[in-house]
Amino acid sequence: MSKYFYIALTSIRSRLAYLGELGSKTIFLFVVLYIFLCLWKVTYAETNQSSLGGLSLKQMLWYLVVTESIIMSLPTIATLVDQDVRTGALAMQLVRPMSYPLNMLAQTSGERVLSFALNFLVGSIIALTFVGPLDFNISGIAMFLLLIPLSFALDFTIYFLIGLAAFWLEDTTGLTLIYSRMTMILGGMLIPLELFPDGWQQILRVLPFSAIVYGPARVFVTGDLQVFLSVLIQQIVAILVFAFVIRIVYNLALRRVFSHGG
Amino acid sequence: MENAVSVSQLVKNFVLKKRAGMRWTESEVKAVDGITLSIEKGQSVAFIGPNGAGKSTTIKMLTGILHPTSGEANVLGCVPWKERTRLAKRIGVVFGQRSQLWYHLPPRDTFELLSKIYEIKQDVFKSRRDMLIERFQLSEFLDTPVRKLSLGQRMRAEVACSLLHGPEVIFLDEPTIGLDVIARQELRDLISEWNRENGVTVFLTSHDAGDIQHVARRVIVINHGRVVLDDRVSRVRRQYLREKVLSVKYADTPESISLDGVKTLKESGHAFKFEVDTLAVPIEKVMSEIMRIGSVVDITIEDPPLEEVIAHIYSAPPSEFGEDAADDDDADENESKS
Repeated sequence: MSKYFYIALTSIRSRLAYLGELGSKTIFLFVVLYIFLCLWKVTYAETNQSSLGGLSLKQMLWYLVVTESIIMSLPTIATLVDQDVRTGALAMQLVRPMSYPLNMLAQTSGERVLSFALNFLVGSIIALTFVGPLDFNISGIAMFLLLIPLSFALDFTIYFLIGLAAFWLEDTTGLTLIYSRMTMILGGMLIPLELFPDGWQQILRVLPFSAIVYGPARVFVTGDLQVFLSVLIQQIVAILVFAFVIRIVYNLALRRVFSHGG
Repeated sequence: MENAVSVSQLVKNFVLKKRAGMRWTESEVKAVDGITLSIEKGQSVAFIGPNGAGKSTTIKMLTGILHPTSGEANVLGCVPWKERTRLAKRIGVVFGQRSQLWYHLPPRDTFELLSKIYEIKQDVFKSRRDMLIERFQLSEFLDTPVRKLSLGQRMRAEVACSLLHGPEVIFLDEPTIGLDVIARQELRDLISEWNRENGVTVFLTSHDAGDIQHVARRVIVINHGRVVLDDRVSRVRRQYLREKVLSVKYADTPESISLDGVKTLKESGHAFKFEVDTLAVPIEKVMSEIMRIGSVVDITIEDPPLEEVIAHIYSAPPSEFGEDAADDDDADENESKS
């Protein structure tokens, strides 16, 4: 296992070599958070409520800090896999005594953890400046820290599958685009699930998107044990299901290796 | 002597889909069509053939990346495609067109990472790394990010990387591609030195005749997925180099030469270039004839470059090459050792 941990560390080190790109992302983060702060301010004022979907304005901004950090930290998993398949670079990975899926998981997770930490740091500074600190409780943070890696792992399994589709499809960017937009919208990046119509909520809570974005953010701002447990189960089940699908698809794919890219 | 690689009747077919209008038609392409060969431990073999001959496909099957359609292979006692991970620890692979180094990090970091991936003991790793650094002269750029290295430097690091875990067989797929003359020469020397001194079996593909000449002692030519020639490099040269090129400079205008099997290629002033077919006429006879017709100032005898030999083999139909070529290989080896 230590080799995968070391791959993750190496990936972080490599990512540090081009921090500029991360820096420019944080400017975008600032703009997004500021716009949504203004929008939510108006919404809270117009509806004359101090709490929407169980969140105060302050919690709402912190919720956005977490969801935006999750979404913006996304490494280009599907593109990497797609490229490996299409160019035949996969060969270089297969001649090593290691598993390609786990290697990709380690590599992209290292990158994502670093990117998430930076986004979250900048987001927190923005939130602190505009709305002040959240009433944190230690157990809430602990629960959040448990959900975040699982959220990344789940997101990885789906993007990895999309990348593997390159064995059959001419182009996987369409799938990536569809999936990423669904994660943003149905995962509750901008609007917490509680504000969706009741019928929708039922469905969205079962889909994997909310386990990636909404779940960790909600637990972070409210420290709700009930939400934590259900998101945790949702994540574990989804990861197991997708890992199983990857196993099948990956083994099928390996037999097709290098009819591409000679 | 024990075999490092043995292959028997290896076949790989690909399904090729073509579209004609709205309809897809499938056809089967035979990339590798019944290859049989064996390579002794410690041998250095050049595996050559024109583009699309099945070289890379064969290498990919031997390294376990690709499943064959049928046939058997054994590399260091493993069936590659069944025991890929186990075999991976004992072989090294360099694909000249792909990098295994981390682009934004210095080579030192990739070495470090590979030591974890191959689970090399730290003391073994350190001593081997230091030896590779010294032999491959990596120290000057060991801490420079790979993106800033020249191709020659990078390839040296790539090959060193693939030797880090002490592989018993090393597969090199066009390792010198794109390198300049000096970098190419350096890399060849390193590979053949490693083969000689460490007993590593070298399996090399290349389009460069120089690579074959300098690194390999045996050459296997494949074309259309089949072995068309399997022989010692020196014998290939001798056997297929029936033509010699003679450049002669005379003191004054000589008489014209008239001998069967001698062709005048070039003539300028008192300098001549003859091509001699040594099967049609003994070289001795040609020499005396050359001396007879005029006063010779300077003379050189050359073999045509190996490239021409290879081109000849590629273009010839398979039937032209005798099956017995490989059989007296052993005799020839003993002869050269004694």
